[in-house]
Amino acid sequence: MEIFALFDCIMSPACLLSQAAGGLKIGMLLFLVASGLTLVFGVLGVINFAHGALYMLGAYFSWQIMSITGHFGLSVILGALGVGLFGLLFERILISRVYNAELLVQILLCYSVVLILDDLVMIIWGDEFLSSVGVPEVFQVPPLFIFDAIIPPFHLAIIAMSFIVGLILWFIMTKTRFGRLVRAAAVNPKMLEALGININLLRASVFMLGSFLAGLGGALAASVGSVVSGMGNSIIIESFIVTVIGGMGSISGAFLASLIIGMARSFGAVAMPLFTDGLMFLIMVLVLVLRPQGLMGNKK
Amino acid sequence: MLFLNKDNFQRDVFLGLLVWLILIMFYFIFPDPGIHDIIQKVFILGLFAMSLNILIGYLGLIAFGHAAFFASGAYTLGLFLQSDFVLNLASFSIPVAMLLAVLVSSILAALIGVICIRLKDIYFSFLTLAFQMLIYSIILALVNITGGDQGLMGGFPKPPFLGIDLGKPFDFYAFTIFISIITIVLLRQIIESPFGYGLRMIRDNSERPAALGFSNQKHKLFAFIIAGSIAGLAGSLQALLDVGAYPEWAFWSKSAEPLFMILLGGMHSFLGPLMGALIFEILNDFVTANTRYYGLVLGLVILCFVLGLKKGLLDWILIKFNRK
Amino acid sequence: MLKLDKLSKSFGGILATDNVSLELKPNSINAVIGPNGAGKTTLFNLITGKISLDKGQIFIGNKNITNLTESEITHLGIARAFQITNIFPTLSVKDSIKVALLAKQHGLNNMWNRFKTHSINNEAESIAKLSGLTKSYDTISSELSHGDQKLLDIALALALKPKVLLLDEPTAGMGPEERWKMIDRIQKLWKKTKMTVLFIEHDMDIVFDTAQNIYVLQQGSIIAEGTPKEIKNNKKVIEAYLGGGKK
Repeated sequence: MEIFALFDCIMSPACLLSQAAGGLKIGMLLFLVASGLTLVFGVLGVINFAHGALYMLGAYFSWQIMSITGHFGLSVILGALGVGLFGLLFERILISRVYNAELLVQILLCYSVVLILDDLVMIIWGDEFLSSVGVPEVFQVPPLFIFDAIIPPFHLAIIAMSFIVGLILWFIMTKTRFGRLVRAAAVNPKMLEALGININLLRASVFMLGSFLAGLGGALAASVGSVVSGMGNSIIIESFIVTVIGGMGSISGAFLASLIIGMARSFGAVAMPLFTDGLMFLIMVLVLVLRPQGLMGNKK
Repeated sequence: MLFLNKDNFQRDVFLGLLVWLILIMFYFIFPDPGIHDIIQKVFILGLFAMSLNILIGYLGLIAFGHAAFFASGAYTLGLFLQSDFVLNLASFSIPVAMLLAVLVSSILAALIGVICIRLKDIYFSFLTLAFQMLIYSIILALVNITGGDQGLMGGFPKPPFLGIDLGKPFDFYAFTIFISIITIVLLRQIIESPFGYGLRMIRDNSERPAALGFSNQKHKLFAFIIAGSIAGLAGSLQALLDVGAYPEWAFWSKSAEPLFMILLGGMHSFLGPLMGALIFEILNDFVTANTRYYGLVLGLVILCFVLGLKKGLLDWILIKFNRK
Repeated sequence: MLKLDKLSKSFGGILATDNVSLELKPNSINAVIGPNGAGKTTLFNLITGKISLDKGQIFIGNKNITNLTESEITHLGIARAFQITNIFPTLSVKDSIKVALLAKQHGLNNMWNRFKTHSINNEAESIAKLSGLTKSYDTISSELSHGDQKLLDIALALALKPKVLLLDEPTAGMGPEERWKMIDRIQKLWKKTKMTVLFIEHDMDIVFDTAQNIYVLQQGSIIAEGTPKEIKNNKKVIEAYLGGGKK
């Protein structure tokens, strides 16, 4: 435990700020992905274990579009939309068959898709990792110096983008008719059906939204990191941790938990570089033992 | 033949020994080391999968973090055989190491089990996974002891004991299968005992036992410990095979393997997971020989089973058989 | 045999059980009747310890069993069959009864014997006979007819060799002919075992024909009790049921 390193960091404004910014970036990107996961679970009752693979697809799609068009914004949007579309097909063809099946069946189904996609992307794009899409030109500016901390503006942009998406999501869920229907479907789908609402359409659109969010996360991740098969496998575990800590089905919970995990990772890397991941799992264990419904979840 | 029809412990022992002898003859009839390798692996992984099926098939508890005990068994054996105790115990090292592996795994299972069993359904599943990943992180962090992400380095001696030299392929083959079969026979006894039916009772209806004056929790904990111990035994055998222990064995994807085997072979028949291990290994071997896209093939196979057959192969066979 | 002394229980603000007192004589067969929502199943849950009491005491014989756990209470002689059958779907009738017997006798910790050839087989057979399940002895529970499932539910309760047997709507979901068959079976096993029986029932004909004592529950409290004759002529009861029978 490098407790002194942590102490020194907190005492130095430069370190504190840059670690906090890093934590925020990790957290917000994680929130983007995890919100999709928790949304799908809350409304459809499905644990989409393939959510990380959708994130990976978002990265690959946006990389591909970037190499064709060279336009960053387009690559991100189209990449995410592409994943949304894929999610629609995935839901209609496969997921809809296991809505009422046991947890084990759902997990195995999703995991088989992960295995297939992990190889499929290698077949299409090759085994080697693809170097990152790169920071878009408009952000290729000198880093900001806040209190001596080096903060790349692009990271701030990612944080801002994720936050805005989060706000839009919140707005959709609470202020629009769609959002109300979705939240009602989470509680009593049969009632909605009786009222003439097309439940299948609703389910498909929720899954599309969740997939879009995963794809968006992947597309943004592609700009700051490399794109490789299996890159979804670590984000899925983190998304699960966030979902569990925040409360399954709760988007605000996912937000809070993502921030906690982001900070834990960032500062944890300073305090316990060898045990950073372990810290996350420890938090997950503690939450499950002390408050299984999560920070913002409801006791069932 | 009447003797073979009686479903009792003596018959199981007899059948087990018979199978062992047949597989020993098999060793000489088919001298290809590749085949021997597959058979050994099938038994080790089959043991691992059967131990998980105690929880999934008979108790109805979906544990996602079972590989934690596989890894604890492997590392315990490895660390012990690397230590100085080996100098003192010489020819009893390996039996002692294996016993320790089982003991440590059972203690770990008791500690983790006591906490996890309080939760239900999906929260139970996630907590077991969280504990496993926590152990994985600990293994990685304690680099000086475990070798970190490289795994246990430097190998370890395998001193001969009771005339068995695990350095020789035949000895290892015969020993591994023998231990596996004994464990399977003992497991069968447990599953077919009143204890085993207590498991089925809880699986079928977790509310009613209380109205019969029965406490679920103790029963579940015992089952969890037994499952963990057997997984630890399997892990120790794997460590002996590979002369090492690797952190990947504590990663969540290692817990998926027995799950696949249970799916492929069936969770409702006793030997289903073993058959699943056989299918899994054959698939593994066949696919990796012909293509590098193993994940694609495995994924498609699992998809077929999940959507199509909807039950494991042995389950399906037995149901067809009973329809006669 | 079973004495309830001023039992009360609220959920949220609602008084589900209101000052209920009754005393069942040993070897008697009694019925609890009342409209839906009157609190009959809640009363059973209180007696068996599934939910906790707010006020009052429960005695079996001379023993005070107030606030003991469900498990402890079953060991002291109270058994119960459920309104919605609460059985073990994948186990056969035989195995279900055996498992219930072993559960009661702390025999499920045994890892040394084989369940299939366990000495408990004989006892299980006689309980099956008592419950009228000999024909379907080897059938898997989930494949039983509704009536047989209800009988199995009762058989599981009988495995506890109870002094007091609570039956929650044993004839629910049955047609008239089946109902009489069921109550006939219940009477038979009551006479054979000399237990104290308390059953919840909606069919008035059955109640008046079978029960020695009837307790009428409405909105959580007992509004009348007595022999069938007394109850038939009780003004309050007639009012509550608007002229006589909730079928």
